[in-house]
Amino acid sequence: MTPTSSGRTLPFAAIALATAAVFLLAAATFFIAIGQAPLRAMIDLVLFATGDAFSRVESLLKAAPILLCAIAAAIPGRLGLISVGAEGQLHLGAIFGTALVLAMPQAPAIILLPATLLAAAVGGALWGGVPGWLRGRLSVNETITTLVMNYLGILMVNGLVFGPWRDPANLGWPATASFPDAARLPVLPGTGLHLGLFLGVLLALGCAFAFSRGIRAERVRVLAMNRKVGETYGLNFPRFAVILMATGGAAAGLAGICEAIAVQGRLQPGLSLGYGLTGFLVAWLCGHRFLLILPVSILVGGLLAAGDSLQLFHKIPASSATILQGLLFVTVLAVPGVLNRRAS
Amino acid sequence: MTELAIVFFVWGFASLANATPLILVTLGETLGQRTGIINLGCEGGMLGGACAGFGAAMATGNPWLGMIAGAATGILFAALHAALVLGARANQLASGIAVWMLALGLTSYIGRAFVGGRVEALPSLAGTWVSSLPLVGRGLEQLSVAAPIAILLVLLAVWWLERTRTGLSWRVAGESALIASENGMSPTRARLSAVLVGGCLAGLGGAVLSVDYTQTWANEITKGRGLIAVGLVIVARWNPRLVLPVCLLFGLAETAAVRLPAMGVEMSSYLLSGLPYAVVLAALVANHLAFAPAAAMPADLKKVFD
Repeated sequence: MTPTSSGRTLPFAAIALATAAVFLLAAATFFIAIGQAPLRAMIDLVLFATGDAFSRVESLLKAAPILLCAIAAAIPGRLGLISVGAEGQLHLGAIFGTALVLAMPQAPAIILLPATLLAAAVGGALWGGVPGWLRGRLSVNETITTLVMNYLGILMVNGLVFGPWRDPANLGWPATASFPDAARLPVLPGTGLHLGLFLGVLLALGCAFAFSRGIRAERVRVLAMNRKVGETYGLNFPRFAVILMATGGAAAGLAGICEAIAVQGRLQPGLSLGYGLTGFLVAWLCGHRFLLILPVSILVGGLLAAGDSLQLFHKIPASSATILQGLLFVTVLAVPGVLNRRAS
Repeated sequence: MTELAIVFFVWGFASLANATPLILVTLGETLGQRTGIINLGCEGGMLGGACAGFGAAMATGNPWLGMIAGAATGILFAALHAALVLGARANQLASGIAVWMLALGLTSYIGRAFVGGRVEALPSLAGTWVSSLPLVGRGLEQLSVAAPIAILLVLLAVWWLERTRTGLSWRVAGESALIASENGMSPTRARLSAVLVGGCLAGLGGAVLSVDYTQTWANEITKGRGLIAVGLVIVARWNPRLVLPVCLLFGLAETAAVRLPAMGVEMSSYLLSGLPYAVVLAALVANHLAFAPAAAMPADLKKVFD
């Protein structure tokens, strides 16, 4: 699934090392360009991400939605689909989950919490399943539909929290009422680490297992390699497309409701800091390998959390983190291709 | 009855003014895709063009310099995409997204200095000879020179693709790189030049958006217009002639979203601003239901989509 040219390829470790080196060089150049001492900035980046218990928790908190969104991109990625829709699916998950909480705020936690998570998964699955169905049945390119549907998902959240869902007690602030305690995710005491991260880890491990063995994994692999071959063996591509896109969407939907419940405590604008796109980058970086996605999500979560601190202490704008992500993506696409081209 | 006719008339020209940046981006993307390269990074090129164009227009007080800076920035981002897909043979869709991500970060970094800045728009058609035209004069007055320039560029692109030798080599490169090189044409050169021209148009579109249409800079000002352009190329069936009507559809939806509340339609402005995106999705689906777009798709481009 790693997107490289055909022909003789270099060993994975060599390519990974070279890519990392080039990225560090690019990042250093960027820091110099914005007038920061590159070594100092990069050391601080690591310190702010892992230095003490507080920053480690912050890193993991950021990693949770990234992990779930990376899974959302990687599951359809296994079928060769390029879904960039996690951002919209995340917002739909938040909408569906919030709707349930607002509908039965008095319900006990044992019912409310699982029902909310389930509703969020359904919302995300819907926003992923539709482009999956369009791709399977009508061959509408899923990259374009998922990208356009992202904007719709975000606007729908805004429409709801500025409109019918705005709590009058907020004095004009666009947000729903605070979620009841029964809807709060279980939290690791004293840390703020919530169930979302645990769900992400569980999902990643489950996917790693499900996509590595068994007849279903083999079917996905055959269809991804060649749809026509798969279909001559009676495999139903549209059905796989819908199921995998919807499953991925469900993961992103969980990310959305977990952010709303655990991080913000209510539904309000600015639910996601571009987690969908970051997750897509992580999934691509890892070649849609779930066991690799797990640590890389945590690394990138650390980068984002450290970016917050850099903004605070070094007056480096938040957009720097986006620039670094962009540089990382460009490097990952450029270096393996160039190296393999030289080698072959 | 006449009142309704006037509303549609006014809306038509408002839609054209709204759609002008999109027409430029979609036209550029059409040219690139005709050579077999899809560039989602045109969203990044457009953002870059909007940012650099606004900055240049703000600093110099001259909107035309803004256009030039915007176009140049668009070319720069397109060159990165070209280097990734032609040089490093990266996946085209992923490369476009990478370019977009980089542009998103860079423009929001650099654009901080432009928030609240003021620029002069391109010359308006009001007060020129078109104002005195019967019937259409009143509508044309609402436009700046950007709209007629965009329409001229569409006509130029049609002529270029269908009547020139280079245009032919672009089309051949899109259908089959193999046949192109067998006939002594360089498909890589055709693709490189088409992607760069596409980037130029995307950057220009961005500059028209920020300098001429909204006359402000805001983060992510393009709001996915470049991504929508990639979808609209399919709806326009890779035909530059159809770029105009297809983009007007989006422009009409945005105009409706802005003007309906003023006409007493009670609906959340956020849901209304989702209308253009919904319309584009619907157009994309309707297009796939009504025709088989794959039949019109440049053959070499199919490899990317499969």
